[in-house]
Amino acid sequence: MIALETRSLCKSFGSLAVTQDVSLAFEVGWRYAIIGPNGAGKTTYFNLLAGNLRPDAGSILFSGRDITRLDVTSRARVGIARSFQRNNLFPDFTVRDNLALACALRAGTARVFWRPMRQLTSAHAEADDLAAQVGLTEVLGTAVRHLSYGSQRQLEVALALACKPQVLLLDEPTSGMSPEETSRMRVLIADIPRTLTVIVVEHDMDIVLDFADRIIVLDYGRVLEQGTPAEIRASEVVRERYLGKSALGYSGGHAP
Amino acid sequence: MASRAFVRRSIGLALIVGAVVAQSFAGFFTQELIAEAAILAIFALSLDLLATCGLISFGHAGLLGIGCYVFAGLTVLAGGSPNLAFPVAIVSGGAVAFMVGLFAVRTTGAFFIMVTLAVAEMLYAWGFRSKMFNGADGMGGIPRIDLTAVGIDLNNPGTFALTVIVVCAVIWLLLELVVASPFGRTLAAIRQNPSRVAALGGHVYFYRLAAFTASGMVAALAGAFKVQHINFISPDLVSWFVSGDVLIAVVIGGIGTLVGGPLGATLLVLLKETLSSNLGHWYLFLGMIFAFVALLMPKGIVGYLLDLNDRLAARKRPSECRQTERAT
Ligand SMILES: Nc1ncnc2c1ncn2[C@@H]1O[C@H](COP(=O)(O)OP(=O)(O)OP(=O)(O)O)[C@@H](O)[C@H]1O
Ligand SMILES: [Mg+2]
Repeated sequence: MIALETRSLCKSFGSLAVTQDVSLAFEVGWRYAIIGPNGAGKTTYFNLLAGNLRPDAGSILFSGRDITRLDVTSRARVGIARSFQRNNLFPDFTVRDNLALACALRAGTARVFWRPMRQLTSAHAEADDLAAQVGLTEVLGTAVRHLSYGSQRQLEVALALACKPQVLLLDEPTSGMSPEETSRMRVLIADIPRTLTVIVVEHDMDIVLDFADRIIVLDYGRVLEQGTPAEIRASEVVRERYLGKSALGYSGGHAP
Repeated sequence: MASRAFVRRSIGLALIVGAVVAQSFAGFFTQELIAEAAILAIFALSLDLLATCGLISFGHAGLLGIGCYVFAGLTVLAGGSPNLAFPVAIVSGGAVAFMVGLFAVRTTGAFFIMVTLAVAEMLYAWGFRSKMFNGADGMGGIPRIDLTAVGIDLNNPGTFALTVIVVCAVIWLLLELVVASPFGRTLAAIRQNPSRVAALGGHVYFYRLAAFTASGMVAALAGAFKVQHINFISPDLVSWFVSGDVLIAVVIGGIGTLVGGPLGATLLVLLKETLSSNLGHWYLFLGMIFAFVALLMPKGIVGYLLDLNDRLAARKRPSECRQTERAT
C-alpha cells in the first residue's frame, strides 16, 4: 500500500530547477532515506510534500487522495508531519510548553479558551512522554532559547512526533548533535512503530545505510538513483557523483 | 521566586485598588480623568489581546469608532434604549472586526498595519461627511446606560468612573484567563512562530481571526463607554491620533503583558493632563518622555519589571533558575 506518492513533481526558483520531474512512491511502514549533495533539492522536496511550497507541475497523493492543493495546516491534519533542518521552535516557551501545545493542536483541544492550559493533563502527560523519548526530561522546564543546539534538534523531532503522523519527514535530524545525542536519535528513529512511514534526509551514511529500507539519491533536483542500501552501495553512478571517498568504506570490496 | 504571571497580576491588582481608592477620594475633575483612563485602559487591553498573536493594529480607533457610532446612532438617532444599544455596539464591533479580519489577518507586519489604518480612515472619512451625525461638528446628547433599577446612577461622575473601573477589571481578568488557556497559548505560539503552528496542524488564520474579532468587541465596548462619558460624538474619536495614543499606551506599559496597557493608559492620561495644563508645547514633552521610557525600557514598564524579576531570581538561585524558568 502506498502512503505518499509524487508524480512528475517540478519546482523551479527562477531559472534554477530544484525539483525536476520527481516521481516517487512511499510504501506504508517503510523507511526511506533521501541523500544527495548540498543544494540537491532535498529540503525543497520536503517543502513540496509538507505544503510549504507549491509545485510548478505534478501532483502529490496521500493514500491515493490528491493533496497537491492542500495547505500546510491541512496536510498536517491529514497526517504528514515534518521536522525542519533549521530549528523551528517556540523560543519563549519551555520544552514542556512546546510539546504540550503541539499535542493540544493535534488533539483539537487548542481552541479551548475557558480553561487554563495546565488543565490539559493528557497533553502534558504526552509531552512528558515525548520528552523522555528524545531525552529532554531534564530540561522540560527550560525555555527553548536557553537550550543547547543539540537539545533543540531533539525537540525539533519530538514536535513532529507529537503530531502522531502517518508519514514522518525528518530533515537532517542528527545534524549538529553530539555523538551521544546522535546515537540516541538513531535508536529513537529505529524504534518508530512500523505503522508510520518515515522519510529521512540525512548526510550521515552510517545512519542511512543502517536504517533505510530504500535510499533515494537526489542530484540537481533529479532522482539519480533509488534502491536498497546494497544496490545504492553498488551503484557506479552514485559512487561517482555522490558517495565519493568517504563512503567507499561501506561499499565493501569496491574500493579502488 | 515570583512567577511572571504573579508579577503581572500583582501590578494589575495594584492598579485596580489604586484606581478605586483614588476615585473615592477624588473630586469631579479627577473622577472624570479616572474614567477617561479606565476607558483608554479597556481600549489598550483590546489592542494587546491582538498583539498576543503578533498582530499590531494601527487603526484600532476604527473598531473603537464602531462602538461610538453604533451606540450614539441607536440611542440618539433611533431613540433606542442605551441598555440595549450597549450590547449591540459590542456585537457590532465584533462583527466589523470579523469582516475586516477575513481579509486583514491574511497579512501581517507592515501590511496589517496599513490595512487596519486604511479601514479606520474610511470610517473617519465617512464620519466626517455624515449628515446624520452632524459630520465634523459632532453630535451631543448621548445618554448613559440606565442602571437605576439596581440603584446605580451612572450620571453621577464617581459612580460612572467606578463602573468603568470594574468593567475594565473584569475584562482584564477574563483576558488573563484567555491568555493562560490553550487558545491563548496558541496565540502566543503564533506570535513566536506562525509557520510552525501551521506545520503542527494549527489553523493560524482561524486563531488570528478569532483574536481580531474578540479584540473588536472589547474595542467597541470601550467606544460605547467613550461616547457616554464625553456625551458627544465626532469623527475625532476615530482619528489616527486615537489609534496612536492607545498604541503608545500599550508599548510604554509593555506589549504582550495585558496589564501593561492599562498602566500605560493611566500614565498617558495623567501625563497629558499635567503637561497640558502647565506647559505650552506639551505634546512635544510628552513625546520626549515616552521616547525616553522606550529607550530605557524597550519592553515597556511591565516588561522591564518582569525581566528584573527574572534577573533577581536568577541571582538568588543561579543553579536552579534555568530549570524552573517558565516563559509566560
Ligand atoms: N526559497 C528559495 N528561493 C530560491 N532558491 C531556493 C529557495 N529554497 C532553496 N533554494 C535553492 O534551491 C537549491 C536546493 O535547495 P535545498 O534546500 O532544497 O537543498 P538541500 O538538498 O536541502 O541542501 P542541503 O543539503 O544543503 O540542505 C539550492 O541551490 C538553494 O539555494
Ligand atoms: Mg536541506
